[in-house]
Amino acid sequence: MVKGVRERLATEIEKVIEVKNVKKIYRMGHEKICAVDGVDFEILKGEFCCLLGTSGSGKSTLLNLMAGIERITSGQIIIKGKNIHKMNEKSLAKFRQRYLGFVFQSYNLMNSMTALENVEFPLVFKRVNTKKRKKLAREMLIKVGLEKRLNHKPKEMSGGQQQRVGIARAFVAKPEIVFADEPTGNLDTKTTMEVMDLIKSIAKTNNQTIVMVTHDKRLADYADKIIHILDGKIQEVEIVHDVREKRESKTQENSSEEEIEAKEQIQEKELIQEQEELNGK
Amino acid sequence: MRISDLLKMGLRNLSRRKARTALTVIGVVIGTISIVVMVSIGIGMNASFKSQVMEQGDINTITVQKYSYSTDEKGNVTDSKEQVIDDTLLSQIKQLTHVKYATGVYSRDVQLYSGKYMGYGSVTAMDYEGFSYFNLPGLTLGTYPDVKGSDKLVFGNQVLMGFYNPRAMNSMMSTPITIDPAKDKITLSFDNGQYERNPKKKEKRIILKNIGTMEESNDWQYSYSICMDSDYFKKLYSEYITTLKVEGRKQAKKSLAAYDNIKVRVDNVKNVTKVQKQIKELGYGSDSLGSTLETMEQTSNMLQMVLGGVGAVAMLVSAISIANTMVMSIYERTKEIGVMKVLGCFITDIKKLFLFEAAMIGMIGGVIGIILSYIASYCINKFGAPLFKTLLSNSSMYDMANARFSIIPFWLPFLAAGFAIGVGIISGYYPAKRATKISAIEAMKTES
Repeated sequence: MVKGVRERLATEIEKVIEVKNVKKIYRMGHEKICAVDGVDFEILKGEFCCLLGTSGSGKSTLLNLMAGIERITSGQIIIKGKNIHKMNEKSLAKFRQRYLGFVFQSYNLMNSMTALENVEFPLVFKRVNTKKRKKLAREMLIKVGLEKRLNHKPKEMSGGQQQRVGIARAFVAKPEIVFADEPTGNLDTKTTMEVMDLIKSIAKTNNQTIVMVTHDKRLADYADKIIHILDGKIQEVEIVHDVREKRESKTQENSSEEEIEAKEQIQEKELIQEQEELNGK
Repeated sequence: MRISDLLKMGLRNLSRRKARTALTVIGVVIGTISIVVMVSIGIGMNASFKSQVMEQGDINTITVQKYSYSTDEKGNVTDSKEQVIDDTLLSQIKQLTHVKYATGVYSRDVQLYSGKYMGYGSVTAMDYEGFSYFNLPGLTLGTYPDVKGSDKLVFGNQVLMGFYNPRAMNSMMSTPITIDPAKDKITLSFDNGQYERNPKKKEKRIILKNIGTMEESNDWQYSYSICMDSDYFKKLYSEYITTLKVEGRKQAKKSLAAYDNIKVRVDNVKNVTKVQKQIKELGYGSDSLGSTLETMEQTSNMLQMVLGGVGAVAMLVSAISIANTMVMSIYERTKEIGVMKVLGCFITDIKKLFLFEAAMIGMIGGVIGIILSYIASYCINKFGAPLFKTLLSNSSMYDMANARFSIIPFWLPFLAAGFAIGVGIISGYYPAKRATKISAIEAMKTES
């Protein structure tokens, strides 16, 4: 039995996000608009995935659905083995604290707070103590190159700097998955490149999964996997780099670590099955 | 979120919109002041009534008078009758529940002489024990009678001040002379012309010894009294009777058989009305300050409620203003709340945050309001007399000179602060609930 689970895990182990036949229908008066129409894909651990599409293609909606911000009309979204559309508000909040980070197009920093406090913000919700979260936030801001801007308010910084603060905030709690909604939409080309490099490098060092929504084809170059979306449907899934290959070579080097992780995943999987059974009832 | 973070964030949010917070706080301040001041005026009036009544005597005491007046609802005297109050009645009254002590009282108007001067007084004679049961004024000299038949007597503070020389020209107009009982010899005569004296006998002048004097007191009913033990009184009076003509002698003797009034000491003010009712059932009318106080208290309670109601209206307005401020604040912070949700903030934390902000407005307003109330209360007591004089002109009881119109008891500020915070929380509840319903999608909207 355990062996069976292990074998199953061997193939499923790296699926961080599974999207299964997801639909999202908006009602506009009597008219129904299908923003996301039967989408199927999966994103692997450590992958940089780009949802590419024109405006109104439903890519942002898809991101919102994956982040649990909007409820799906039908289908399934499984993140870290959990059906997020079945969670209540509280467990969803807990889930976000633990696994998810967000980078927004319009930065969404708290204007009344300094850069440091903004980066601390997600840790505040996690009830991390002041000393520890100050340290983490400071380290993160240094990592994004804002060591001289710790106590500046967002209004006193350029767009690029603000987005760096946004990135620091998204990564400070070391989430496994970071969602980025047009993170460079308000930035000039030079800053865009800097910001993208930053996101990519941080994600790579921690083996974090990035899901980015953009309409800019040039940004897709940073991705491992590009999902082209048009009118709420997937047109093409383009795999630029196969994460699996890289992982396999890495696995041989550090098999013990991999094993521990596998064990953890088994436990988690079992928990999920239990939860699903409960939910079924 | 940790509570400390919640508090920090709430305060930060309040200070972000200083003007608006201040205006809302002012609303609560006004509400708190009006409640505290109104209630304090009510309490002040009540206390004033009580002290006014108490100055006129002991509120635990009931007096059964020789003459009983029946009154109609408006308080006008409709009928009066003489009632016999003797030892039978006294023993009946003594047996009533809640009666701690009762004694019969004789009173006689008398003349006093000292050298060439004379003065007037009124003998109040009761059982010696009575002097310790009824709150009589304190003494500056001597003691109250403490043994049966004691010859000790006590002069009211006014008695010795009003002596004059009856033989002098314009005797009534001249300045009264004060007699010092320690130096001057004082004699007393019952011969006030009520009964005809036997012409063969000399006017009986009793030499007074063992004199005590009362200190000055607001209880004016003893001011002209000469208090003595009833047995001693009977002895002196009997001596006086011997100087009378036969008919007078009979009448005077008869007058000793009945008391002029009976004084009843009740165990508690609350039972005064009850005891009066029982005495009425015996067929006797009586009066007491306690029953007067009761009606006055009813009036002042009503007044207190009306005043409190005025304050409550002001508080209601400030509650609406808090709710309005919080709703406005939520509109402004829609995106911020959305972002917080996306970043993993629990909705209960969002709710707590808004409730805290509302409670904080209530608390700041409450505290400032209480401080200002103390100032207002001081000003009312100091400068409010003319206003209250016009308001209460029909209340002759009200002594304007030393009355306090506003009293803030120690519990009132706590109650008011609690109330202000409570109002804040209640009026913040709906906005807080509304804040939790804001969707996380707000965070994803790009316009900023």
